[in-house]
Amino acid sequence: MKHFAFGLTVSFTALTLAATAFAAGNHPETGEALAETQVFTYRVLDEHSSVDPQIVEDVSGSEIVRDLFEGLMNQDADGNLVPGVATDYEVSEGNDEYIFNLRADAKWSNGDPVTAHDFVFAWQRAADPATASPYSWYIELMSIQNGAQIIAGEMPPSELGVEAVDDLTLKVSLTQPLPYFPKMVTHATTFPSPKKVIEEHGAEWTKPENIVSNGAYMLTEHVPNERSVRERNPMYWDNDNTIIDKTVALVINDENTALARYKAGELNRTEIPTGQYPSLKAEFPNQATAFPRLCSYYYTYNLSDSGPEAFKDVRVRQALAYAIDRNVIVENVLQGGQFPAYTFTPGATAGFDVPDVDYAGLSQAERDAKAKELMAEAGYGPGGEKLEFDMLYNTSEAHQQIATVMSQMWKQKLGVEATLANLEWKVFLDTRGNQDFELARGAWCGDYNEASTFLDLVDSGSGYNDGKYSNEMVDQLLAEAKTSKDPSANYTKIEEIMSAEMPVIPIYHYTGSYMMSEDLRNWPVNNVEQNWYSKDLYFAAN
Amino acid sequence: MINFILRRLAIAIPTLLLLIVITFVLMYSAPGGPFTSERPLPPQVLANIEAKYGLNQPLWRQIVTYIWGIVTEFDFGPSFQYKDRTVNDVIAQGFPVTLTYGFLSFIVAVAVGVTLGVVAAIRQNTLIDYLAVGTSIGAQVLPNFVMAPILVLTFTLWLGWLPGGGWEGGKIEYLILPVIALSTSYMASIARITRSSMLEVLNSNFIRTARAKGIPERQIIIGHALKPSLLPVISYLGPTFVAMITGSVVIDVYFSTGGIGQMFVNSALSRDYSVMMGVTILMGGLTITFNLIVDILYAWIDPKIRL
Repeated sequence: MKHFAFGLTVSFTALTLAATAFAAGNHPETGEALAETQVFTYRVLDEHSSVDPQIVEDVSGSEIVRDLFEGLMNQDADGNLVPGVATDYEVSEGNDEYIFNLRADAKWSNGDPVTAHDFVFAWQRAADPATASPYSWYIELMSIQNGAQIIAGEMPPSELGVEAVDDLTLKVSLTQPLPYFPKMVTHATTFPSPKKVIEEHGAEWTKPENIVSNGAYMLTEHVPNERSVRERNPMYWDNDNTIIDKTVALVINDENTALARYKAGELNRTEIPTGQYPSLKAEFPNQATAFPRLCSYYYTYNLSDSGPEAFKDVRVRQALAYAIDRNVIVENVLQGGQFPAYTFTPGATAGFDVPDVDYAGLSQAERDAKAKELMAEAGYGPGGEKLEFDMLYNTSEAHQQIATVMSQMWKQKLGVEATLANLEWKVFLDTRGNQDFELARGAWCGDYNEASTFLDLVDSGSGYNDGKYSNEMVDQLLAEAKTSKDPSANYTKIEEIMSAEMPVIPIYHYTGSYMMSEDLRNWPVNNVEQNWYSKDLYFAAN
Repeated sequence: MINFILRRLAIAIPTLLLLIVITFVLMYSAPGGPFTSERPLPPQVLANIEAKYGLNQPLWRQIVTYIWGIVTEFDFGPSFQYKDRTVNDVIAQGFPVTLTYGFLSFIVAVAVGVTLGVVAAIRQNTLIDYLAVGTSIGAQVLPNFVMAPILVLTFTLWLGWLPGGGWEGGKIEYLILPVIALSTSYMASIARITRSSMLEVLNSNFIRTARAKGIPERQIIIGHALKPSLLPVISYLGPTFVAMITGSVVIDVYFSTGGIGQMFVNSALSRDYSVMMGVTILMGGLTITFNLIVDILYAWIDPKIRL
């Protein structure tokens, strides 16, 4: 009883503190004067798929889930790991057993303590075939013991290699040493979920009137396809240091409409439409921002049996890759500060040393000369056979512009005839996934800040390897990297092999470009995964 | 009349069933499925998900289960894309939105369109006629996807009078721009149809007779000419009404109203089979209903038509 009263006093004090401390006060760290109103409103392209941590699969849903729920670890503004519900962790000698120590003051929004059992429940739930989570494979990717068998329905979920030693100690057993395991627990799939509430409300548990969450915010309103609102959770352990009171996500499909509404002051953040960055930057220098993202834009050759014979010749693959002037694409077509890509993995990826791939260092004129030479050697071009193929992309104006520019470059420099073909998104995925193409567009964003999230695509066994590139050396280097303490040398080596064999044509690495209110502070521009948390943001008084 | 209505209702049920089956088959024959994504799911994970949504059953069985669910429990199934919600949730949230702005647009379009058309007809070949025809042609050639951004630019960015989008439960300031954008081109069509049909009626024998009898012009127009001249308008209004209350993709996308129009397109693009079916049945049902209402109205206005 006494204990209960104590808890109540503490949370009451926390509430009062929260309510008074920052109202037009100063930021605890920077000392900057804070704005009176701390409401962050941003645009999302599409309605989120779910706010259930084990079900969510899209970016906009994950953004909401990161505010509503808190996992073992969080990321700071630079993408480094910082404590979340866990204060610290210990790892066994062999790197295959992790123990997370949980903080005692973490609470659910209904006041219940957050315990190791909540994580066990959530992780088992993610793997359980009955949940049918589209992200259940993530449990397998984390190499948790018995994960694969549970997903396949061969073992009950209770057999998963995760255990609550006591309320505040979570033990995870892995099938193989995984040095980057702690990085993986910042992902929404691993966030705890409230067993009691899920059992009581079933599929309805994520509705605002039912949901109970343990993050800095609570879901207070959800009008599908229009808005979702999250407000401070007074039970959150670090509520005292949270400044933003309310975050509103508005669904606005059209980016130009969103920009108009941003300009009208209805939004604090929106994406900059393609090609408008330079003019917006000139007009609003303090609001237009661009920063690197963990994403690559590329074209993949079909190297399977159904692919064209010409692409089996490495000289053709190289020649086509060399003849693309990436600076033209980046500076004249996209105009958003994107980076020309000569490797598949973006240079911004943590622990990745960009290798000195030979064609990156050449001037475009040198590359063009080399391309002509290689093409002639392969027997195509003037005096030889004429190379013709289809290049496939999903219907979009931006993709079309890039494909047009690329095919023009090939035509002028190499006399190659590339026919543009576009397909609606799902048809495109189906076609590409069945190797029913010659050259196809691809884009990939890292799931986590580590090069393997990109390079796994060229593993011969990967389901994402639509070009069916296969190289034993690459497979071996990747397998080694999974268990190595410092795999960066392997990644560099794989990129070197890729630049020599050119299974894909890297085009550019993405940037995020936003219009952001001038007084919005702490946006994690250096977090290449763009994992942001409302609790870290604030508005300065202007 | 009662017989007629019953007969039409009896035809409506097989029509709807046929609609369901055709939509189902078309939907499933499109390449890709609801769970096709840039990150293809591992086969085991995909199998688990397909089992949950019953997609591992043969097609005929899925159709039968689907129809059975609707008939017995009015259950249109879970949304494949919005995993926290059912199709009933999706429609219950989106349809009132489109119904609101669609109905208001309809009223505006009919009121303004008919007035413009009548005024133009009785003042044929005068400045008023030219203005009315000019306005309506202008409104018709300006598609709403051009109209919407222009409205936002003018009223939100330059004048700052109205919000550029959102719904907020249908507050009046959020309704004005969508209603203008949606009603304009319909209004123009209604005006043109009314004008030409009015002109035809005004030149007909019974109107000449009425004039010869010395009946005041106002009474001729309102009492004698208006009703018959509205017949073509009414046959146009049936499908138009359904089109308007089931929303417009353009309006939903430009004004972020959260209505059902965009869901129709989104669900097709994302292969959200259940939402696509739900919205199709809703639209199909409404179309059948309003075609029936138009037929009844016809009989009431034109005694020559016996049902």
